[in-house]
Amino acid sequence: MRDKIVYLAGAAAIVIFARDIYVIAGLPEEASQGIIFKIIFFHVPMAIAAMLGSFVALVASVLFLATRNFRYDALAVSATEVGLVLLAGNLVTGSIWGRVAWGVWWAWDARLTSALVCWLLYAGYMMLRRAIEEPTQRATFAAVFSILAFIDVPIVIFSIKWWRTQHPQPVFWGGGSFPAEWLGVFLWNMAAMVLLGAVLTMVRLRQEDAQRELDAMRRMAHAF
Amino acid sequence: MPYLFAQLTSDDVAREIARLQHGYRFLSAAMIVAWAIVVVYVLLLVGREKRLKREIAGLKVMLEEKQK
Repeated sequence: MRDKIVYLAGAAAIVIFARDIYVIAGLPEEASQGIIFKIIFFHVPMAIAAMLGSFVALVASVLFLATRNFRYDALAVSATEVGLVLLAGNLVTGSIWGRVAWGVWWAWDARLTSALVCWLLYAGYMMLRRAIEEPTQRATFAAVFSILAFIDVPIVIFSIKWWRTQHPQPVFWGGGSFPAEWLGVFLWNMAAMVLLGAVLTMVRLRQEDAQRELDAMRRMAHAF
Repeated sequence: MPYLFAQLTSDDVAREIARLQHGYRFLSAAMIVAWAIVVVYVLLLVGREKRLKREIAGLKVMLEEKQK
């Protein structure tokens, strides 16, 4: 039953994306940036879905340390891995936008640098997990690392407020504006991206369960 | 407005077409790369799922044989 819900949610996300891409293609160009502005419909939702993944990983890591329940550790690694993929998409789309808008692929400003550091930190989290064999030690070290890594997330979000950056100020809550027609598509795309992230996290979580089952069976096989 | 159109030269039109194509090229590249990252990850998930199922099935058979 759970699998069916997950696959249905995945199919719903794909349908919403297909519809949105069709609508976005028909939208007019933005006055100053031209067609490249349309990247915002994917660049920002990818960032928000990735940050949500980091937040889920933070909560799951705290809950693991409090309860020592390995389900929370599995949720933390699943959400982190999916967040890492979405953040990679965010960085790449941002870099391509920068090439057109600024004439350079990359600028070492506070927003871009903190986002890259965030990606590297969570990549480090995944590497740390691979380096430790013992499950309890691995989960504990990873949970502590995940909590510390999350410190960078508010820095990424507020960097454009705290420092003078080359990255534009936010369209929402930053003095910018969006036509109502565009806002509807943007919000649908955001919902689809969060749904996609949730579906991928659920699939990854199921694999963590299967991996635990496999480890238990291996231990049983060695005991014979 | 007709006066503005009358001011456009063929160079202006060519420049505008080049600007549009430039934007489209980068927008397409961004979309392709972003979705390629997601698709590659989904393929990795599918591969991992298959490996886990195969290993669990193999171990189940081995454990059943040992129990006999």
